[in-house]
Amino acid sequence: MDPHAQIGSLHPLEIKVLIALSQHQALQSRPLRQEDIGHAAGLEPSQLSMAVEWLLAKALIRVESEVVTPIASLSKVGERYFEKYAPIERILSVVRDAKQTGKRVTIQDLQVREGLEPSEMSGAVGSLKKEGAIRIVAGGHVEATGAPSPLTESLRTLLKDLHGAPRELHAFPEALRRVIEQYAVKRGNPNEPFRIDDRVERRYQLTEAGQDAARVIATQGLGDEVSQLTPELLKDGSWRTKRFRQYTISLRPPRLSAGRRHPYREFLDLVKRKLVSMGFQEMRGSLVETEFWNMDALYMPQFHPARAIHDVYFVKAPTHARNDMVTATRIARVAATHESGGETGSTGWGYHYDRERAQRLVLRSQGTAVSAHTLASNPAVPGKYFSIARCFRYDAVDATHACDFFQVEGIVLGPDINFRTLLGLLNLFAVEMAQAKESRFLPAYFPFTEPSVELHVRHPELGWMELGGAGLFRPEVTLPLGVEVPVIAWGLGLDRMAMVALGIHDIRDLFSTDLDMLRTTRGHF
Amino acid sequence: MPTISINLKDFEQLLGPNALKEATAGRNVLTAGSLEPLLPLVKGELKDQDGDQGEVRVELQDSNRPDLWSAEGVARQIRIKLTGAAPTYPFFGAKPQGKRRLLVTPGLEKIRPYVAACTACGYAVTEAGLAQLIQVQEKLADIFGRKRSTVSIGLYRLPAIVFPVTYDLVSPEGARFTPLGFDEKMSLREILAVHPKGLEYGALIAGHDRVPLLRDDEGQVLSLPPIINSREIGEVRVGDRELFVEVTGTDLSMVVLTLNILAVNLADRGAVIEPVQVTYPYETALGKSMPTPLDFGRPQSIPIQAIRDALGMPLESSQIREALSGYGCEVRGAKDKLTVKLPPYRNDLMHAVDVVEDVAISRGYGSFEPVMPSQFTVGGLSRVEQMSDRIRDLMVGMGFQEIIANILASRQELVERMRLAGSEWDRIVEVDNAMSLTFSCLRQWIVPSLLRVEAASTRSFYPHRLFEVGEVAVPDETEEFGSRTRVALGALIAHATANFSEVHSSLDLLLFYLNCPYGLEPISHPSFLPGRAGQILLHGHAIGLIGELHPEVLEQWQVTMPAVVFELEVDALTEKP
Repeated sequence: MDPHAQIGSLHPLEIKVLIALSQHQALQSRPLRQEDIGHAAGLEPSQLSMAVEWLLAKALIRVESEVVTPIASLSKVGERYFEKYAPIERILSVVRDAKQTGKRVTIQDLQVREGLEPSEMSGAVGSLKKEGAIRIVAGGHVEATGAPSPLTESLRTLLKDLHGAPRELHAFPEALRRVIEQYAVKRGNPNEPFRIDDRVERRYQLTEAGQDAARVIATQGLGDEVSQLTPELLKDGSWRTKRFRQYTISLRPPRLSAGRRHPYREFLDLVKRKLVSMGFQEMRGSLVETEFWNMDALYMPQFHPARAIHDVYFVKAPTHARNDMVTATRIARVAATHESGGETGSTGWGYHYDRERAQRLVLRSQGTAVSAHTLASNPAVPGKYFSIARCFRYDAVDATHACDFFQVEGIVLGPDINFRTLLGLLNLFAVEMAQAKESRFLPAYFPFTEPSVELHVRHPELGWMELGGAGLFRPEVTLPLGVEVPVIAWGLGLDRMAMVALGIHDIRDLFSTDLDMLRTTRGHF
Repeated sequence: MPTISINLKDFEQLLGPNALKEATAGRNVLTAGSLEPLLPLVKGELKDQDGDQGEVRVELQDSNRPDLWSAEGVARQIRIKLTGAAPTYPFFGAKPQGKRRLLVTPGLEKIRPYVAACTACGYAVTEAGLAQLIQVQEKLADIFGRKRSTVSIGLYRLPAIVFPVTYDLVSPEGARFTPLGFDEKMSLREILAVHPKGLEYGALIAGHDRVPLLRDDEGQVLSLPPIINSREIGEVRVGDRELFVEVTGTDLSMVVLTLNILAVNLADRGAVIEPVQVTYPYETALGKSMPTPLDFGRPQSIPIQAIRDALGMPLESSQIREALSGYGCEVRGAKDKLTVKLPPYRNDLMHAVDVVEDVAISRGYGSFEPVMPSQFTVGGLSRVEQMSDRIRDLMVGMGFQEIIANILASRQELVERMRLAGSEWDRIVEVDNAMSLTFSCLRQWIVPSLLRVEAASTRSFYPHRLFEVGEVAVPDETEEFGSRTRVALGALIAHATANFSEVHSSLDLLLFYLNCPYGLEPISHPSFLPGRAGQILLHGHAIGLIGELHPEVLEQWQVTMPAVVFELEVDALTEKP
């Protein structure tokens, strides 16, 4: 590379190092150590190591020699041992005291009294026993033998020598070196008193390219280099006489935090847009519902198992909705339908319908409750509606169960609605919502539809999965609410697809409280 | 709905040679793989399997088809479809032998009014058969019978019983017997007080001075329904050839239907069923005296055009009849109308639409070509959702990260940590039967949800700017449901120098773009530092709050950075002044 062009991209720190090395090389043949370069160039250690890394990467300098020296020092644990004594010292001292005062101590006593971890305890007792400084006698009592403990003594020597003053490992005699090595922090064993770190001493020299660059710098000088264009330079036009340092643009930029939609919201927005594009109008509903709207209006009998205390959340206060005339009339029609079919041509469920219970307040447990309200409020015919409704279920929360989640549901009303158009709509969902090339229909059961269908699709990543359930609302649902045309009720189970798209495996992460996760989760839609 | 175990070897027997041949393409060995494609006929889903042979577990979806909750029932439905022949059960309508009687005592109408019974002889109970008997008994009593409250079932060894049997009513000290699971005789009171089943189901017959009891002509106790059978008579074992079956309960049609199902299941295994004449001292929907099992279903008349319309297919009358009889229904046809009668083990024909589905399942859903709904409709979002989307765009533009939180939270988070306890802001919608306190209340504002994120993210680099546009439930006595569901925007800024003026700038810019000329009015609110909180006013109405969070609130949430917030009602922004 042309040395002139290269100099333009050099950082001021790099230039200082190049100059220092070239001046030194002119005088002496022995290459410089890193710390000497720092000294000569007047750089902080952190600046120096950055500059050296960059210059090495650009092949302007090279490592001439490398000497590795192991250095022993105390770890945090070691410094603590120095102050408060190591477990082995403490145990030996207690046991020796006990011998003098004639007391008896057990391992449990020692552990409790000295507040030691079981692992520390067993290691120390084991070493002392091995050396013969203590013995365990009947009843689990620990006794001092009177024999010395060389390990304990070496340990104390080393703790004193190394306290606050790292030293070369080779400065110690063989026996002490072995103790340091044995009790040094290692991977998987961080609680040891000593550390051994390699001190690497490198010497550097200019490469030929480096010498060329240094020569250019020496002969031409750096000119008037600036790093940042400023308003002043622009105002007085003096930028014309400046040289702009060239950047190394491959470095990673500083991190930003962006304003951003929630990744799950991005997914739901996609769903929302799809549905609107297919001609669906959005419905909204209430988080608190009556049993009437949540279930009765959907022809789920009051004795239905899914209505029990263990499936639905009941509101504490008020317990019941206020009565008004409109509701009373509506309840009367639904009550007649449940009891004997009313005017729907059905036999009804044949039980005594509890009108008081109809007004019991619950947390909405299914999005279909929103559809029930729409059916009762003069919906458009033909009409298509959807809601992305928060629903609540009495469920223990874990990786696959949430107690509070979105359901994507809706209805389609019209004179042309029948079983085959129901299948047609589901086919459309399969293609639009899951990009599925294959789908199939299976008979299903929902209390409020007949016939009922489950839509299974072959998802590109998940394989065959249930995408949704649907059916034609029973006349027992539509007629009492004043709808005379056939109605499709449909629901889509999109959470699994959302989780795949967001790369998460725990349903709770859809509502994550971890900002880092929100900032880093990307959708693959 | 129930998941049942099926032994495939046993299932092969139940299918019979012709259906087995058909189901296995002539290989005559049934595997989970060859069973699975047949399960749509019973709305069944294969859950798991023990090897490709042996046991499989099948979930049955239809809660109105308890006849399918056993290997016998599943096999029957499949067999009918594959062989085209519905089985006949001549014991429906047969006259009971003179002595086979069951007499009901007056007074039971107030406790557990109904009973049905029959005998089953000539089938030596096999291990697989016994497993199914126990399983179907459990599933029917537990799910269909709502934990035995409407239906419970007893099976007995017939030779030990002397007819007539009495469905009696006695005082809790009025009889003693050895219940299943115990070794000695106990009084009824003791059984209710001590026996695990007494403790579990005793409440069903509590509150009266007498309890139901089934005993035979010699006074031997069969059982204390719906609690527990006698150990001597009421323990059926492998090899037994003569059984007595009874069902008691509070709903006559469910009681009789349950017995019908048990009777056809046993008949399918080769038992000869003999009915029992049940006589009541009081009137029932089916009269005072009736033989059971009893086919009480009535034929329904259904216009053929209704079926065609619902299916969207111009099927011929003969095609519909073929589909229905191939699914086990009795069909008689006129030109425009069909008369459909379900088999005696089904009682799920409430409306003509129920027949429509049977036709569709019988022909197979795959045989219906999907058609797109053709009518034109206009799609669109609600006003509040459109406004929410605009707000989300603006908040994102101002550098806020959106969150989506659980709407369920705890009182501690929503009220106590916000220093609202005892204030005018401490009312929230609470759940009566919460499973855990963490999820026991509906949030009344968004800020606690933002603080939940803030508290969990103290190690995430600052500044933090969070917002959520989401639903809240605001208690309001004037509302029909005692609360209003509202969409609210909450925003939070947290970093070392976060202050009022910074969050005010965000609010100001947001409302500028939304064209909402707002005002601020100082407010004293416990969640905020005094003198650094305001009420947001729009056209003279309070629509939200803004301020620096009180240090005590931050402490309670263990948030270690200053945090400033605003919250406003999105619905209010959509309303024109």
